[in-house]
Amino acid sequence: MPTGDSWGMLACLCTVLWHLPAVPALNRTGDPGPGPSIQKTYDLTRYLEHQLRSLAGTYLNYLGPPFNEPDFNPPRLGAETLPRATVNLEVWQSLNDKLRLTQNYEAYSHLLCYLRGLNRQAATAELRRSLAHFCTSLQGLLGSIAGVMAALGYPLPQPLPGTEPTWTPGPAHSDFLQKMDDFWLLKELQTWLWRSAKDFNRLKKKMQPPAAAVTLHLGARGF
Amino acid sequence: TAVISPQDPTLLIGSSLLATCSVHGDPPGATAEGLYWTLNGRRLPPELSRVLNASTLALALANLNGSRQQSGDNLVCHARDGSILAGSCLYVGLPPEKPVNISCWSKNMKDLTCRWTPGAHGETFLHTNYSLKYKLRWYGQDNTCEEYHTVGPHSCHIPKDLALFTPYEIWVEATNRLGSARSDVLTLDILDVVTTDPPPDVHVSRVGGLEDQLSVRWVSPPALKDFLFQAKYQIRYRVEDSVDWKVVDDVSNQTSCRLAGLKPGTVYFVQVRCNPFGIYGSKKAGIWSEWSHPTAASTPRSERSGPGGGACEPRGGEPSSGPVRRELKQFLGWLKKHAYCSNLSFRLYDQWRAWMQKSHKTRNQDEGILPSGRRGTARGPAR
Repeated sequence: MPTGDSWGMLACLCTVLWHLPAVPALNRTGDPGPGPSIQKTYDLTRYLEHQLRSLAGTYLNYLGPPFNEPDFNPPRLGAETLPRATVNLEVWQSLNDKLRLTQNYEAYSHLLCYLRGLNRQAATAELRRSLAHFCTSLQGLLGSIAGVMAALGYPLPQPLPGTEPTWTPGPAHSDFLQKMDDFWLLKELQTWLWRSAKDFNRLKKKMQPPAAAVTLHLGARGF
Repeated sequence: TAVISPQDPTLLIGSSLLATCSVHGDPPGATAEGLYWTLNGRRLPPELSRVLNASTLALALANLNGSRQQSGDNLVCHARDGSILAGSCLYVGLPPEKPVNISCWSKNMKDLTCRWTPGAHGETFLHTNYSLKYKLRWYGQDNTCEEYHTVGPHSCHIPKDLALFTPYEIWVEATNRLGSARSDVLTLDILDVVTTDPPPDVHVSRVGGLEDQLSVRWVSPPALKDFLFQAKYQIRYRVEDSVDWKVVDDVSNQTSCRLAGLKPGTVYFVQVRCNPFGIYGSKKAGIWSEWSHPTAASTPRSERSGPGGGACEPRGGEPSSGPVRRELKQFLGWLKKHAYCSNLSFRLYDQWRAWMQKSHKTRNQDEGILPSGRRGTARGPAR
């Protein structure tokens, strides 16, 4: 069970991550534009989605039933601070590129931070390795998004003082509550990866010449 | 919302538990009416529950089994409509048993890797943390190993700062929520548990036209070249399609060996390993290295099969090949002592055989003395 010290450490860690140095802008001479970076980012979200499926399956089995049962839907208590992927369709469609990219970048920064805090002492060495591997991949996605933003000339989001992501420790954050938080973290990660694929697909189509316009297929998640 | 008591208790297998689920707050007037329990997703039989008062539902569980998962059993209090009101993780298990069978080895005296086995009954149902500790025998401070799971789940690797010439005391501590246990202390000297890399550059080649022999050559492992030690080697070889290895033991301080008594026209896989025994005068055997990567070679094809046996006589070689060469060895030994044929050797004999095969003459004919060939070092073992 995390002690008071662990929460403090987690807050510190998240603050450090949030102050990641900005990715230097891509060399503009003769560069092919943001297209390839967007494609790469899209591919990364699909890859991560695949990786997450396997990781989540193992992790939820570790949490035990009912967490690994399909359609399990516990109350979202501590998970209120998680960045929400779900958004109104019209709002989503009307997002400008900068906002779209910023929301993605901020979301994954938060999620990466929380994932790193998923420091379950009791988890098997194998599970800890899978988690670490996934975090590395997620860090790669963040870098990729930063690259796209730089290519398009958008500044990386800097946190406002006081809005740094910190885990909200309950008075006595019980193990069961922690399990529910873990469940929602994985769920939200999954939802974000689904959404990001569509975000980057949309961006990709925008960057293409008009003749290549294709209708965007939206999933059943309310997009 | 509700609160379950106790929160996240730890219990011994077979013990009982009395839990309560107390509703409070919203909606106001919430009661214990209609509440129910599930454990690991399964609804518990109603006879185990009891309404204590208007807002509290109790649960009595007896003779608990070990936890289904190490993250704890999920005990949940549900509202009438099935929604989750509260939960508590139950940790049911056993305290750890004394870890046993600690064994350690040092690669080239630079590090130490240790392995152990958890106590006899294994499954504690709780997450058990193992910690390998070590200290120099006469110099107080305890150290803790930090790199775990290097060669299996119960292993640890100490990468540096190891002292020689003073024994280490090594033990393993196992801890879980229900208690801890400590293994017996193993005392060892790094010099007594040294292993090394397998010999590099293992080459297997034919011996001229001899169809029943192969020559194996290797290099002494370089990591230990500055240390005074006697290497012992072991060679094993097998026919391509077989799983039975033949082992050649007792290959001391040589870096080559001739395998004999082999089948002609056959592919053989050969491996060599090294034991750096006697490091710095240690009287104990070291620890065998891993086998080198298999090297393959084939014996030449032939109609006739020659006699077997050879410089590195294999254990379990063909019985028919043994006696001829053994007797020949004895004869040559006698000859050397009593006659002037001081450059007689097995090598000469083999050269003769090869020459014989080439000229297609029968072995019984006396074709005269072979022209004296190269005078190399005798390949036969000077036993």
